[in-house]
Amino acid sequence: MRVQAIDHAALLPLYLAAGAAVLALFGGRFAKACMMIGLSAAAVAAAWVGGGEDRATFAVGEWHSYVADDAAMGAAVLFAGLSVLVAAVSGRQTNEYWFLLAVSAAGGITLASSRDLITLIVALETLTVPLYVLVTWPIYGSQASPKGPIDGSQASPKGPTDGSQTSPKGPIRGSQASPREPGRDGAEAGVTFLIASIASSATALMGAALVYSAAGTVHFEGLATALTGADTKLVASGAALLLGGLAFKLAAAPLHAWAPLVLERAPLPIATYLASASKLGGAVAIIWVVHFALGTGAGTSTGVAVAALSVASIVVGNLGALVQRRTVPLLAWSGIAHAGYALAPLAVIATAAGQADATAAASAALAYAVFFVLLEAGAFAALTAVRSGIALAAGGSAETAASGSDAVRDPAGPETRAQLADSERRTLLGALKSGGPQGSDLKAGAGVTGIHSGGEGGAIADLSGLWRTAPLPAALFLFSVVGLAGLPPALAGTFAKVAVLEVLASSAVWLAVIVAAGAVLGLAYYLPLARAVLLGRGPERVTGKGRFAIALAAIGLALLAVTLAPQLVLDFTTVSR
Amino acid sequence: MLVPAVAVPFFGAVLVWAWRDRAFAHWIGVAAAALGLVVVALLPLGRGDGNWSTMGGSMTGGWWHEVEFAWAPSIYLDFSLAVDGISWPLATLTALLGLLCCLHNALGAERHTSAALQVPLATVATGGPSRDAGGVTGVPGESGLGEPGEPALGEDGGAIGAGAEGRSSAALQVPLATVATGGQTRRSLRAVNVQSPAAGGVTGVPGEPASGVSGGAPLSGTAEAALGESGGATGTADAAAGPSATLTALLLAVQFASTLVFFADNLVLFFIAFESVLLPMWAIIHRYGDPAARRHAAAKFALFTVAGSLLMATGLFVAIADTGTADLGALIVLGGVSPEISLLVFALLAIGFAVKAPLWPLHSWLPDAHTAAPTVGSVLLAGVLLKLGTYGLIRIAGGIAPQGAADAAPVLAVLAAIGIIVAGLVCLSLPELKRLIAYSSVGHMGFVVLAFATGTEAGVNAALFGNLAHGLITPLLFFLAGALKARTHTGLLGSLGGLRLAAPTLAGLLCFAAFASLGLPGLAGFWGEAFTVYAATERGGAWLALAAAAAFGAFLAAAYLLRMLRRVSHGPVAPAVAGVGDVTAAELIVWSPLVAGTLLLGLIPGPLLDLFGEGLL
Repeated sequence: MRVQAIDHAALLPLYLAAGAAVLALFGGRFAKACMMIGLSAAAVAAAWVGGGEDRATFAVGEWHSYVADDAAMGAAVLFAGLSVLVAAVSGRQTNEYWFLLAVSAAGGITLASSRDLITLIVALETLTVPLYVLVTWPIYGSQASPKGPIDGSQASPKGPTDGSQTSPKGPIRGSQASPREPGRDGAEAGVTFLIASIASSATALMGAALVYSAAGTVHFEGLATALTGADTKLVASGAALLLGGLAFKLAAAPLHAWAPLVLERAPLPIATYLASASKLGGAVAIIWVVHFALGTGAGTSTGVAVAALSVASIVVGNLGALVQRRTVPLLAWSGIAHAGYALAPLAVIATAAGQADATAAASAALAYAVFFVLLEAGAFAALTAVRSGIALAAGGSAETAASGSDAVRDPAGPETRAQLADSERRTLLGALKSGGPQGSDLKAGAGVTGIHSGGEGGAIADLSGLWRTAPLPAALFLFSVVGLAGLPPALAGTFAKVAVLEVLASSAVWLAVIVAAGAVLGLAYYLPLARAVLLGRGPERVTGKGRFAIALAAIGLALLAVTLAPQLVLDFTTVSR
Repeated sequence: MLVPAVAVPFFGAVLVWAWRDRAFAHWIGVAAAALGLVVVALLPLGRGDGNWSTMGGSMTGGWWHEVEFAWAPSIYLDFSLAVDGISWPLATLTALLGLLCCLHNALGAERHTSAALQVPLATVATGGPSRDAGGVTGVPGESGLGEPGEPALGEDGGAIGAGAEGRSSAALQVPLATVATGGQTRRSLRAVNVQSPAAGGVTGVPGEPASGVSGGAPLSGTAEAALGESGGATGTADAAAGPSATLTALLLAVQFASTLVFFADNLVLFFIAFESVLLPMWAIIHRYGDPAARRHAAAKFALFTVAGSLLMATGLFVAIADTGTADLGALIVLGGVSPEISLLVFALLAIGFAVKAPLWPLHSWLPDAHTAAPTVGSVLLAGVLLKLGTYGLIRIAGGIAPQGAADAAPVLAVLAAIGIIVAGLVCLSLPELKRLIAYSSVGHMGFVVLAFATGTEAGVNAALFGNLAHGLITPLLFFLAGALKARTHTGLLGSLGGLRLAAPTLAGLLCFAAFASLGLPGLAGFWGEAFTVYAATERGGAWLALAAAAAFGAFLAAAYLLRMLRRVSHGPVAPAVAGVGDVTAAELIVWSPLVAGTLLLGLIPGPLLDLFGEGLL
C-alpha cells in the first residue's frame, strides 16, 4: 500500500491554529496570549502560503480534498484575524474560552481549504460545535441588572459552573457588578443554537448523502463532472437540502430564526464571532459547494435553490429589521438580508449567461461576504466596547439605587469629564442639566430602564449621543453601519454592492432589482441607527471610552484599508476553479 | 488640474470639520470653495481639440483634459476624470454655488439681519395683550431655556421674570434682546458661553421670545436642540441651528461629490460619486432643517434618492456587462450599448435620474426636502443636485443608450409635459413661499427633460441651457426666500405683503428673480424654455401638443410667479413685514454673482451654446 505524500506547507496555517488551541488549553495564565499569537501566526502563515503558488494535498487520483489556493488562504487569514479580534474584545476569560475559540478558528481554516463534502461538513461542525458552549459563556455581569439591587450588593461569585468560579475579576467587571451565572437567557440562546444547528447539520448531511448517491463521489472535482448525467430529481433535492442546511450558518432564510435570538442573548464578543467569522464560514461553505461541486453539473436546480434562499433572506431580513428597536437584533435581522445579497450572485448559474461566467459570480459572492463580515465585525466590536462600558455603568446605578442615594449624583461625574473633553455644546447642555435637576433625573431613569429591559445589545436609544461620549467606538460603529447600508464614504460596503450588482446586471436583472429594493429598505433602518449615534442627547454614562481601543483601531484600519484599496479583497476573492 | 478641482473641496471639508470649533473654520471653507472655483474656472485653459483618436486601445483626445488611475479593475472601477464643454459649465456652477453657500454661512447673512428683526419680533410676541403674551413666551422659555438662564442671570433674570407682569418690562426686554444679538456675533457669544455661565444666561434671554414664536425648537429633544438654544440667541427660526462650521463642511462635501459626478469618466466612479452626495445632503436636511418637517423630509429624500441611484446602478452595470468597458467617453463615442438591451438600459437609467431630476411622478420628495432644508441646503439641492439628475439623463442615459432614448422619448416627453402642467397648477394654489419655489423646480426640470426628449440639436442645447439657467435663478430665489423668512418668520403668502414698501431692494431682487424664472426675454430663463417649445414644435405631429402644453406651462409659471409677487411685494404692509431690514451688504455680496450670471446668460447666450456644441454627447 502506497503512503500518500502530504504537503505540510499547505497545512501550516491549520497546524498553527490547532497548536494555538492546545497551547491555550494548557497555557495557564498565558492562555490568551498563546491563543492570540498562535492565531496571528496562522494568519501570517496563511498569507504566506496564499502568496506562493497554489498547493493541494490529500489527493484521491486527480481530486484533492485540501486545497490552499488564494481564496482559501485569504479566507483563512480572515478566520484567524477575526478570531484574534474577538479574543481582543473578550477581556479576561478562562483557558477553556480561548481553547474553544481557537478550535472554532481552526475549523474555519479547514473549511476554507476543504474540497470534498465530508471535509467540508466536518470542518463546519468544528467551527460550530465550540460555539454551543461559548454562546452560554458567562462573560461579564451585565445580566446582573435584571435581578436588581440585591445582585449589586453581592460581590461574591455564586455560579455553579466552573466558568464563574475561576473567572478572574478582570478589568471588564466593575467592582459592583457580580459575575453572571449562565442564566436563563444564555441557556435559552445555547439551546436554540444547538437545536437549530443540529437540525441544519442533519439537513445538510441528508443532502450530501443524496448528492453522493446520485454522483458516487464526494469530491468537488468529481461532482463537477459526475453530476451532469445523474438523476435530476435526486440531484435537485440533494442540492436543495445541502444548501438549505449550509445556509443555517449564514443565517439565510429559511433557517434564519436563530440568529436574532442567539445574537442578542449571547455575550457580545461571541455575537461578534457569530456575526463575522461564523457567517463567513457559512458563506464560504455555500460558495465552495455551489461553485466547485454543484454549479457545473446541476446548475439549474442549484441556481434556483440559491435564488430562493437569497430572495427569501432579503425579504425576511429587511422586513424583520424594519421593526426592531434594539441594536443587536436589528443588526442580526439585517445580517439575514445581507446573507441574501451575498447569495444572490450565485443564483445566476441557473441561467446560461450566468453559467458562462460562474467564476465571476462566485468571486462576487465571496467578495460581498468578506466585505460584509468585516463591516459586521466592526459594528459588533464597537458595540462590545460600548456595551461593556454600559454594563459597568448599569451595575453602578443599580448600586446607587440600592443604597438609596440620589440618582442624579451618578451621571454628574462623567458629565464633567465630557464637558472638558467636548466643546461649547456640551457646556450648554451641562448648564441646562445642572440648572434643571428634573431633566437629569429623567435621563438617568431612562438609561437604567433601558439597561434593565434585558439582552446584551441594548436599545438603539441607548446609543444616542455616543459620538460625543465615546468617539472611537462611535466612529467605527458609524462607519460600519453606513458601510452596511452600502453608502459612501464607507466605500467598503459600496464596493461590495457594486460587485454583486455587476454580476447580477449581466444575467439576472430582476434579482438586481430585488437587491436594490432591499438596499433601499435597509436605508430605512440604518439611517436612524446612524442618526442615534451621531445626534441625540443620550444617557450621559460611561460608555467604554478607551476600552479595547487597540482592537477597535485594528478593525477600523482594516476597514479603511479595504475602503481605499478594495483590490486587496477583490484579488484574493477571485475564485479559480 | 482635474484632480485639484475635485480634491480641494474634499480637503476643505475635512479641514473645516477638523477645526469646526475654531472661529476661522468658516473662512477655511470659504477659501477652499474659492480655490475650488478658481481651479475649475481655469480648466478651459489648454484644452484639447475635441477630436477623438484611439491610443493604446482606449479612446482619448475628445476631452479637454483627462486623468486616470486604476483603482479596482476587477469591478471596472478606475479613478478617471475628464471634462468637456458640457460638464465644465455645470462644475463651474457647482463651485460657484458652493462658494456662495460657504460665504453665506461665513458672513452669517441671516445672523446680521436677525438683530434688526429681533425688534419687531419681540414687539409682536410681547407687545400684544400684555399679560397673555408674557405668559405665552414665558412657558416655552421655562421648559426649554429659562432654567439655566434665570439662576445665573441675577438682576436681568428678575427683569425677565417680571416680563409676565406687564408691558413696561416687555419693552425693556426688546432693547435687551437687540443688544444681545446685535452686539455680538454668535461665535463670540458661544465663546462667552464656554467661559462663564452668567454670559450664557444673557444669551438665553433673547432666546426666550424667539423660541416662543418659532415654537417647538427647544422641545425637539435632540442634540441640536442644545445648539438651537445658542442659535435661538440669533432669534431666527431659520437659523435655529445657526450657521455652524459643520454645515460648511457638509456643504463642501456635497460640492466635492457633485463635482466628482460631473467629472467622472468611469461609470462605476460616477455611481459612487452619485451616492456620495446622499449622506451629506441628508445630514444637512436632517440636522439643520426646519424642525417641524426635517425628519420626514430627510428620510424621504434619502429613500427616494437611493432607490433611484440603485436602479441607475443596475442600468450602468447592464451597460458595462454588455460592452465590457466602463469608460464613459469610449462608450459614448462607440455608440453605446447594443440595440437589443438599449431600451432596458435607458429605462433603468432614466428612472434613476428621473428621481433625482425630478420628473413627474417621481418628484414628491422634492417639495418636502426643499421646504425643510435650510437656505443653503435648498440652494444646493436646487442648483446642484437636480442638475445631477438632468446631467445624468442627458450625458449618461442619452449617451450610452441612444436607441433606448429615442424609443422612450415619447414617454419621457409626455411625463415631462404633465410635470410642467401639474407643477404650474399646484404652484397656483400653494400658500407657502419656499414650497412654491421648490415646486416650480419640478416645472423647470420638466422643460429640461422635454427638451432632451425631442432629441434634436436645438432640444439638447435648450435642455443644457435651461438646466444651467435654473441653476442660477432658483438658488437666487431660495436665497431671497430664506432672507425673507429670516426677517419675517413666515413663508406664508397670506401673511406677507407690502415688501415693496418695507424693503424695496429685497422686493426688487425678488421681482428680478421671479421674472427670470418665468422666462422674461433678456434673462437666463428665457432661452431654455423658448427653445424647448421651439424644439418640440420642430418635431411636428403629436409633439405639437406637447409644445402647446409646455407653452401653457410657461404661461402658468408667469401666473403663479406674478401671484407670488403680488402677495409678497404689493398691497399694504403686513404686520410680519413691517419694519424688516433691507438687503445688507453681505447678502448683496452673496447674491450678486447669481444676478450677474442670470443677466449674462440672458443677454449673451452664444458662448455657452458654443461650449455645448463642443461637448461630447
